[in-house]
Amino acid sequence: MFAFSETSEKEIEKQLVKYPPERKKSAILALLRIAQQQNGYVSAEAMEEIGRRLDLSPAYVESVCSFYTMYYTRPVGKYVIMFCINVSCHLLDCDNLLEHTAKKLNIQVGETTADKMFTLLREECLAECSRAPVMRINNDYHVNLTPQKIDQILDSLK
Amino acid sequence: MPKKTQTETVTLTIDGKTVTVPKGTVAVDAAKTVGIDIPVFCYHEKLGPFGCCRMCLVEVEKMPKLATACTQAVGQDMVIKTDSPKAVKGRQGVLEFTLLNHPLDCPVCDKGGECPLQDNTFEHGPDLTRTEFTRYNRDKAVPLSPVVTIDRERCIACQRCTRYSDIVEQETALVMVNRGFQNRVQTFQDRPYDTRFSGNVVDICPVGALTNTTYRFKSRIWDLDNAETLCAHCGVNCNIVVGVRSNEFMRVQAKSGENSQANDAVDDGWICDKGRFGYGFVESSNRVLKCRNGKGDTLEANDALGQAATQLKKITDEHGPQSVGFIGSPYGTNEELYLYQKLFRQQLGTNNIDFKTYRQTPGLPVEHYDVGDIETSDMVLLIASDPTEEAPVLDLRIKKSVSFFDVKLAVLNDQKTDMDKPAASSLRYNVGSEAEVLSALIEALNDKPVRGLEKTAGIAPKQIKDLAATIQGSGKVCVIYNPAALTGSASDRILELLQTIGGLPDKQCGAIPVAPGTNAVGALDMGAHPNFYPGGLALSDSEKIKTLWGDEAPLQPGLSALEMIQKAASGELKGLVVFRANPVVDFPGGPTVAEALKKLDYLVVHDMLETETTQLANLVLASNGPGYDDGTTTNIGGRVQFRKRSLVREDHPPDWVLISRMIRALDPEAPSYKNSFGVTDEISQKVPGYEAINKNAIKGMGMPRKGSACSEVQGNGAPAAEKSENGALRLRVANYLFAHDKILDASSPLSHHFKSSTVYLNAEDAKALGIETGDEVKVVSGDAEVSAEAEVSDRCNPGAALVPRVSDEQGLMALVGDPDAAVWVQIKK
Repeated sequence: MFAFSETSEKEIEKQLVKYPPERKKSAILALLRIAQQQNGYVSAEAMEEIGRRLDLSPAYVESVCSFYTMYYTRPVGKYVIMFCINVSCHLLDCDNLLEHTAKKLNIQVGETTADKMFTLLREECLAECSRAPVMRINNDYHVNLTPQKIDQILDSLK
Repeated sequence: MPKKTQTETVTLTIDGKTVTVPKGTVAVDAAKTVGIDIPVFCYHEKLGPFGCCRMCLVEVEKMPKLATACTQAVGQDMVIKTDSPKAVKGRQGVLEFTLLNHPLDCPVCDKGGECPLQDNTFEHGPDLTRTEFTRYNRDKAVPLSPVVTIDRERCIACQRCTRYSDIVEQETALVMVNRGFQNRVQTFQDRPYDTRFSGNVVDICPVGALTNTTYRFKSRIWDLDNAETLCAHCGVNCNIVVGVRSNEFMRVQAKSGENSQANDAVDDGWICDKGRFGYGFVESSNRVLKCRNGKGDTLEANDALGQAATQLKKITDEHGPQSVGFIGSPYGTNEELYLYQKLFRQQLGTNNIDFKTYRQTPGLPVEHYDVGDIETSDMVLLIASDPTEEAPVLDLRIKKSVSFFDVKLAVLNDQKTDMDKPAASSLRYNVGSEAEVLSALIEALNDKPVRGLEKTAGIAPKQIKDLAATIQGSGKVCVIYNPAALTGSASDRILELLQTIGGLPDKQCGAIPVAPGTNAVGALDMGAHPNFYPGGLALSDSEKIKTLWGDEAPLQPGLSALEMIQKAASGELKGLVVFRANPVVDFPGGPTVAEALKKLDYLVVHDMLETETTQLANLVLASNGPGYDDGTTTNIGGRVQFRKRSLVREDHPPDWVLISRMIRALDPEAPSYKNSFGVTDEISQKVPGYEAINKNAIKGMGMPRKGSACSEVQGNGAPAAEKSENGALRLRVANYLFAHDKILDASSPLSHHFKSSTVYLNAEDAKALGIETGDEVKVVSGDAEVSAEAEVSDRCNPGAALVPRVSDEQGLMALVGDPDAAVWVQIKK
């Protein structure tokens, strides 16, 4: 069962007043974010709860949630690594860098390490082409990546 | 969707042709009016503009880029070119992308032959593919529900189905998840897409992604004989297209823009899943194929009908005309019911003719509205009716009217229904207090003070006054009600209410009575009523009756269906014909009805399926029924349409032949008819209101018959609802179209809609009884009891127990005695 915590409820209240009551469905992105903040990911139960709050079908909530890659629908590790694979990074060999990272963490892309420390994901464009190749770990950008630099960063997080 | 009332027009040029269309029309539709077909995938006229598939690119002069014709509203003096090199190249490019990952499995695809993607590619697409890499393979043949299958790799993400789920069903059960290449049609967490209207997505899917599970790989569409006919499950009479190969049933589709032209006056091009997947009764193993006598000996149809006719005549000769009776069915066609009443009135001399167990008289004090009139009304007043469960397509029409045509919906019901959601106001009265509530509403409409109703009906006078004010403030009011759900004097009060609303200044008012059955309106019109001749002629109208039916026409009031059962029990009724009805299960009393029928000297059951009643018959006449017989039916909107046969039986005569031969067995002078329209022609001469109905007039879309005048509205006021004793709860039986009965048997693909026996209790009562949701309980009335699972909810007010009729086995009608009186039940753990 999913239930919003007290802190989340306060946050939801703040978000809902931003929209007229008949358009409360506009708060869907905010509520998804709050649910994720609380539990680390948005579970199916959380989507149903958000649907109930905003008079939306759970399917609609899932549809919105799945559109954005930054909402996680499965539990993720403490650090979520988002690896840019778009044009500029691609030209600068991000494929091999991604493979290197996966090998170092001993997981496949899309998976989470057994110790729940790292989740490795592909991301379409992090809007940082000028400093490609780029990855993002939680809220920090790491740019001009090389295998050595990646090793260094990951080691520093362990 | 442009408002239907739009009158302003614009004139423009499409491919050199001048077009004048209402303002707001999109280019695709404007082009259609001059025979120019702009290819589309995502656009559907019932869903409105969307513009996601880009198939409809056209060149519009003075516009820098190609425009999508499905979203481009036409403007005055606009010049549109659909065949310029730029437009042709644009569409070709779009198709190349659309086909990028689409498999080339047309030879084994069920959509092949009727596939817009196939057709559009043929006409507008590139000749060759430039795809040299591996296509993106996706899941094949995934069940989306037990009746709909999705082939994900065929999907072109046009979003017709998901928009249908959002705009038409308004459930948003089907959505697009993920994005880009991963985009896919899905329900929440891949749960089954099991709404009541799920099958429509098969019709509107422009590729072979969504297919009818029961039709997959059964036939190629060009091998099908298609019959444009009517659904025979509820009173809406939706238009369907039945596909048959070599006289074997294959599939049902809605009659829509996809295959013909939708009948907007009836179903708007949508049908429910019972209409689509509930056609299996035509090939049920439970069918009555041959006539037989009580001992089980097979009889030739002609011998059997001859025996029935002479035996009934013999009974009337010995015991008088009141000793025989006819219980018909709201599922019979006009022709069948007309001929039966003729047999009983003219040949047997009795008015013991009925088809129902509730009170209703033919005729309305106001106009009889067509289903299409809901859209143009200002207000819809829904009384005691649950269209979602009883006549599902009506539910779609009401929701559409509320969402897109600003129709105000007011609900007056004793149970919570899905219609409460779109309703602007929704009042829930106590079970059994409808007469009082209607009386109060009539008083309020006449600007009289409204007495307190809180205690007896659970509604405050202010709520009634507010409702009255809304009615007074609306120009065109459409009242939709279920006559079968009104008890006691409420059947008179509803007529008085209609009269009152119709009499208000500057008011247009009409009504749609939504009784159970396919042809309840037609049955009343055809005189299947103990006190009315066809066309709503009351027995007191003896002059008119004699002119139409001769001096011998019986004028003594007949027995109602329930009275016939009573007289059968007392031995006064000797002979009875039951036509396509199952009183043993469906009539109040249940097993006691069987006891009564056993006492008859002669019971003829004329039915298409074996029932508990056919088991008791002295003679069983096989009925072909819908699917095999032609005939007309009159829907809840008073529209007469032709229900064409889709299948042929050569070894057994159609019902209208069988009944007319019974008449001729007793009167050799009686006419014989060349086809069912021969009977229709006689109806047009003999039934007031049906003068204009004939084969040509009802072709295609059908035609409204003229409603008969309403007989005088009886009585005044309403007695207070009866009071409960010993904490008994008042039983409310709710009808449920997707019930597990003889039509939807255990082999039905719709078995996922079957529900278990449930009793809904208000929290207040449940607490007093110590019952919680999920408890197994017995609903007891006298000696009869029905087991059910308790569900504590706010579905009805305190003091009532609501039990939906979910199956024949449930035996629910055993609890009910006289349907007009309150039924009190005890709930026991």
